[in-house]
Amino acid sequence: MGVDLSVAIGGRTLENLVGVASGTYGYGSEYEEHLDLTGIGALYTKAVTMHPRPGNDVPRIVETPAGLLNSIGLANVGRERFVEEKLPGFAALPCAVIANVAADFPEEYAEVTAYLEAHDPNGALWGYEINVSCPNVKAGGVALGAVPRQVELTARLVREATDRPIIVKLTPNVTDIAEIGRAAEAGGADAVSCINTVVGMIIDVEARRPVLPAGTGGLSGPAILPIGVAATYRVSRAVSIPVIGMGGIMSAQDAIQYLLAGASAVQVGTANFVDPRIAPGIRDGIVAYAQRHNLASVSDFHSLLG
Amino acid sequence: MPLFDGRVLANTEIASDYYQMDFSWPTDVRAPSPGQFLTVRVSRTAVPLLRRPFGISGFIPAESHPADPPEAIASMIYWRRGPATALLAGLEPGDTLGVMGPLGVGFPAPEPFSVPILIAGGVGVGPILFLANTLAAAGYAPLLLLGARTASSMPRVNAHHHVQVRRSTDDGSLGFRGTAIDLLEQTIGVVSGRLEIFCCGPEAMLRAAHECAVRHGLPAWVAMEQTMGCGVGACMACAVRVNRPERYARVCTEGPVFRSTEIAWE
Repeated sequence: MGVDLSVAIGGRTLENLVGVASGTYGYGSEYEEHLDLTGIGALYTKAVTMHPRPGNDVPRIVETPAGLLNSIGLANVGRERFVEEKLPGFAALPCAVIANVAADFPEEYAEVTAYLEAHDPNGALWGYEINVSCPNVKAGGVALGAVPRQVELTARLVREATDRPIIVKLTPNVTDIAEIGRAAEAGGADAVSCINTVVGMIIDVEARRPVLPAGTGGLSGPAILPIGVAATYRVSRAVSIPVIGMGGIMSAQDAIQYLLAGASAVQVGTANFVDPRIAPGIRDGIVAYAQRHNLASVSDFHSLLG
Repeated sequence: MPLFDGRVLANTEIASDYYQMDFSWPTDVRAPSPGQFLTVRVSRTAVPLLRRPFGISGFIPAESHPADPPEAIASMIYWRRGPATALLAGLEPGDTLGVMGPLGVGFPAPEPFSVPILIAGGVGVGPILFLANTLAAAGYAPLLLLGARTASSMPRVNAHHHVQVRRSTDDGSLGFRGTAIDLLEQTIGVVSGRLEIFCCGPEAMLRAAHECAVRHGLPAWVAMEQTMGCGVGACMACAVRVNRPERYARVCTEGPVFRSTEIAWE
């Protein structure tokens, strides 16, 4: 039996629901030189911001039990060099490319998106993922993604800047992630992705200071899988737009948990560092599971959870 | 960035807690150059999670030794210091090693007719040994300075007969008494010719080698180390501060080898 792993988001279709998460696959070119990316459904780019960002002090990552704590600091070349240096390579990639946009306040998200729109007349970008986990400078540094009306405003302003699919990437570091998901939908988002990394800290007890100079970082990897699955479960019941699940996916079994919880697509992140060829294998594993259980498409997963 | 499964050929303790692993290297994977590195998948479980980077300490091309089917042999020297390297130390000949490499930018060739002075501490001995043997085979007469705390932590290495090896220990139990940097200072004072310095080791040693090179007006190359995520330039984790407008460079792709004056030493 054929299995359809496509997913419709905002009037467009991703042929393969398994993507690689922002920050873990660069701009594709780093891996494409050596690997065949055809088994990947979507590449979510390294975040692009208004201006270049050098990134945080080092060390920027530390391994934790079954996890990875990072504080990269959105190191990226900025929107202008993104358009000049990265965008031209996207058309040749065999997967959809979704630009991950980060900014300091709602208007800036829209401005970066509008800039990318204006400089991508040939449609190399499939859509946008809006990273609302950044501290909101204008609101005193509180993560924008923790405030429903800020998330709604951001989605609304970005909506005015583009007709392409908008995916709002939710942070788990909030009281009620379902409420944030509803705010994104109300603002006009076509989908939400969840979860971004979980705030964490590791302390060097001999040096008596946090290992990461920034103090805290974002936790990813297998350690956060249950957090992501629970968030996906809750958000998918609160919104009517597709949910893209992520957090700790290392295998097809992990990805299937997300699909059963209500996700229509998934992203693989930290696992790419362990095995950059893992995403196509996860897709194949989902297909095999669907065949074994007579599931024709992703929507069939959603009614199965007992 | 080819990914391949190597076959462990030998895994030998060469000093207290220092190991050398030899493993097969497929003929369709590019041969590494000194200073380049590889990452190893140390487990199939979530703990330890990430691949670990290691310098390459030697390489024997397929045409230089008999094997059927033909395959090259690569080596790496590692320090058993945590759960991941303990897993590596437990591998036996015939076991599989998941490798990604060769990665990064290695050491440049020294100027013709110069005298390369190579200096290593800790696991830095791996890349430096590979460089020493490569340079010796290319007609240079490199000086190899190896530093260790004490005699038992001095790795036993196989150096080309045109490599002149000098050893230092902090406690004087083997060779020169003092640090490898003290030995470097002494060596610079007595060796004539156009000297060029190549260093791999702990950051304090790299910095001291850099400062020594600056004092004597010599060029120096250092192999930097930083906690690594992807190993291919995508994740921006393994940054090192450099004297450039963008402030940071990636150890995995712009390095690990840098001209010492490029590094913004803290």
